[in-house]
Amino acid sequence: MTEPKSTGLRGLDGVLVALAVAVAGHVTHLPPWITLLLVAAGAWRWTAYRRGWPLPPMWLRVTVAVAATVAVFASYRTLSGIEAGTAFLVLMAGVKLLETRSGRDLTVVTFICFFLLYAALLRDQQLRQLPWVLAGALLVTGALMRVHAGAAGDSLREVLRRTAVLMLQAAPLALALFLLFPRLPGPFWGIAAGQSARTGLNDEMTPGDVSDLSVSGEAAFRVRFTGAVPPPAQRYWRGPVLHEFDGRSWRRTRGQAFPQQEVVAAGEPVEYQVTLEPHDRNWILALDLATQWPEREAYRSFDFQLLAPRPLTELTTYRLSAHTRYRAGTSLPESLRRKDLQLPPEGNPRAVSLGRRLAAQHPQDPQAIANAMLRMFHEQPYVYTLEPPKLADNAVDEFLFETRKGFCEHYASAFTFVMRAAGVPARVVTGYQGGELNPIGGYLLVRQSDAHAWSEIWLGARGWVRMDPTAAVAPERIERGLIGSMGADEPVPGRLRQDSEIWFQASLAWDAANDFWNERIVRFNAASQLQLLERLGVDEPDWRTLGLGMTASVAAFFVALSIYLAWRYREPPKDWPARLHSVVARRLRRRGIEQHPAEGPVAFLDRAASACPDLALEIVAIRDVYAALRYGPLPTETELRRLKHLVNRLRP
Amino acid sequence: MRSPIRRLRAAFDERMQAWLRRRQGIDRDPVLLHGRRIYILPTRLGIAYAVMVFAMVMGGLNYNNNLGLGLALLLASIGLVAMHHCHGTLSGLALRLLATDSAFAGQDVHFRLLLENRSRASRPRIEVALESAAGGPVDVPASGSAPAELAVPAIRRGRVELARFVLATQHPLGLFRAWAVVHPGYSAIAWPRPAEPGLAPPGVATDTGGAQDHARGDDDFTGLKPYQAGDSLRRIAWKAYARGRGLHTKQYAGTDVVSHVFDWDSLPGLDVEARLARLCRWVLDAHQRGEAFGLRLPGTVIEANIGTAHYERCLTTLALFELRDASD
Repeated sequence: MTEPKSTGLRGLDGVLVALAVAVAGHVTHLPPWITLLLVAAGAWRWTAYRRGWPLPPMWLRVTVAVAATVAVFASYRTLSGIEAGTAFLVLMAGVKLLETRSGRDLTVVTFICFFLLYAALLRDQQLRQLPWVLAGALLVTGALMRVHAGAAGDSLREVLRRTAVLMLQAAPLALALFLLFPRLPGPFWGIAAGQSARTGLNDEMTPGDVSDLSVSGEAAFRVRFTGAVPPPAQRYWRGPVLHEFDGRSWRRTRGQAFPQQEVVAAGEPVEYQVTLEPHDRNWILALDLATQWPEREAYRSFDFQLLAPRPLTELTTYRLSAHTRYRAGTSLPESLRRKDLQLPPEGNPRAVSLGRRLAAQHPQDPQAIANAMLRMFHEQPYVYTLEPPKLADNAVDEFLFETRKGFCEHYASAFTFVMRAAGVPARVVTGYQGGELNPIGGYLLVRQSDAHAWSEIWLGARGWVRMDPTAAVAPERIERGLIGSMGADEPVPGRLRQDSEIWFQASLAWDAANDFWNERIVRFNAASQLQLLERLGVDEPDWRTLGLGMTASVAAFFVALSIYLAWRYREPPKDWPARLHSVVARRLRRRGIEQHPAEGPVAFLDRAASACPDLALEIVAIRDVYAALRYGPLPTETELRRLKHLVNRLRP
Repeated sequence: MRSPIRRLRAAFDERMQAWLRRRQGIDRDPVLLHGRRIYILPTRLGIAYAVMVFAMVMGGLNYNNNLGLGLALLLASIGLVAMHHCHGTLSGLALRLLATDSAFAGQDVHFRLLLENRSRASRPRIEVALESAAGGPVDVPASGSAPAELAVPAIRRGRVELARFVLATQHPLGLFRAWAVVHPGYSAIAWPRPAEPGLAPPGVATDTGGAQDHARGDDDFTGLKPYQAGDSLRRIAWKAYARGRGLHTKQYAGTDVVSHVFDWDSLPGLDVEARLARLCRWVLDAHQRGEAFGLRLPGTVIEANIGTAHYERCLTTLALFELRDASD
């Protein structure tokens, strides 16, 4: 069976390019073997098409398809969900390429490409995706047109131009539909959980291991304050609180319930709105200490962390209040005291003895013990660095007495450990600290690199009090952020940003654009639709107004498009003699002389001349000039003027 | 044995065709396809596309994913715009019958059409077909025209009607198919099926008298004569017309020939069709040899002559001989 180089496969090249672009957006999420298989299938199909090779037999194609399905299932344990679904689609595109023999097969591949673009948006809705998605939509639609446009599809440039025109014409309708298409208040089927590992805080902290969070310049969340922005030293955003320590890692409590603790707030509340990037956890990073939150969307744990009932898999906004002056906890339950004093039975002996010594020096004075620790960090040669040496078994001892180099995790871990050894209930709090004000967008941007860890100790009458040992070592980390606190040779994200003014401004503008995108486009919902209608002057808009508006705009669009198409397919203007002749014909019609469809102009004018003897002279003159212009050599300007003159004088 | 669904569908199609014919009537040449007689439906691919877009819209709504929803709505809009383009590609197209190519019964007669685009935009991928089956697509350029051809099998001699045909396009994305049904009332001539070669015509009637004088070939220019209806447009002396001397046709002269006259009465004992087949064969052979020939049928006499026009006139006379519907 040989494949004829027929027009049936017109557009294979376009489809291959479109597929390559559509898959390019997924390559970082796909196992390499899938990408390799697809590239091999595409290369093979193209060569087979050029060389006229036969397509593989049916049994081979079926085998490949089944094997691909099994392989995807084996590596993902499922075929649903974004990741496995994407991998499956990519493989199916490859298998489909093996059997493309007609325009219909190619069309199926373009449909897969559309789905791939869509899948990428389900995974990630960030602004930076937009150029790729638009380019992809253009190329895939272009490939579809190339398959179906006939000879008009031969020129690649022409196809792209026509596709771009088509998309531009579709854009107003798409925009109107986007703004007015009724949104659902909630999902009507379950949301796929735990799609992919995203950068974000962890619920485990292991000082001594490498953390990649600090080098990620990605946004974690953005905050808009209603009033004044609190100073940097008060911008602690609370994440998971870690209670359990096994000698290496700090972890949250598991399966253990503690009574809620009371919070007494003082001073004015700080009101703000936080928009969190999706991180697949149910943590709401709230300013310490959260005192007010929407009851149905969040709750506060016994260790003052704000939690959502569901993991945040999409961009989410909360309106919250915080107090920076507070007393957290009026009494410490015995179970919690035991938990926050717990130390591993062995290991780190020097740190334990340091704690005991401090406790002996300052009996019954936890504040003094903490101060002594902070003084030690400040006065002795401790170094704040993002590239600390690796630590082995007795990590706390090694850090405190030997390497003395580390970042917030090391200091918070060591501080908490020594406090516990001294008999002071203490725990590690992770979260973010600081943030960067964006004057363009008027909000505070907190990046992943602002991740921080600090400590909290129980001071009896004052409740839980925040202690940030990092501030004792590198106060500029708290005041000026990560970049300001680093030496010139430290690997810090966005260093370039700080060094070049243009780059700095550009990155501010880019983030403001991202924020606008998130707030206005990604988070556009039913409420925003009603707001929009209100701003357009609709009183008390509801879903009916929305539906009406949508129907009206679709109808208006269709009318406009039809008018445009009629204009586009209009007849070109007639040449001058023909135009003048139709004027004459119109005037003669008043005298009841009609031109028959099969009658030429000269015969018609002859007939008219004999029918109207009073005008015979003029009509014959017009006939002669017309015939000379029409059938003679190149018409001259004077003859044309003469004809115009004659026609104008003809008044039947 | 056809399945009930197919029978139902065939009955439906028949009803539709009858309705269309009643609605539109018989078209007069040239036919202008205005918007109201163009029908449009999604193709199978178009339905698949709609299902895909619908799934995307549902997913976007469900996951509250505005970008996915946006992409889906963009694709939906592209589909709807493409629908209008598809309709526009056909709307306003004009077509006329250029010529019919006669053929012997058993072969295909051809209707040669001219698709005329009087607009500024091109009209790609126009399919011209007898039924819904796709013909080779034709691209009609802006302000231009393109020829198309329809082959209709001729079963017996006589007139072959082109009762209806379809113009369709799936331009630009193949998601929609716009079509128009034309009932043109065109007809072509199917000549009698020639008899087997072999039987020579009866003796040559050497009627060389006036034949040469009237025989007109197209070898040498001999002069102008006043235009007569039916003269070829190519031979009109346009320069003379522009000078105001009226319409004249250029005259050419041919070469000398010998002539035969084939006579109906020379074939006694055969039925009508067999006689016509035999005469047809003789005409065919004589024409191929370049000999002049004439035809004598009951009620019709065609003087001996040569040339393609004469040859076709003789065959047409044979084709329409004693046919009730021969006269229009």
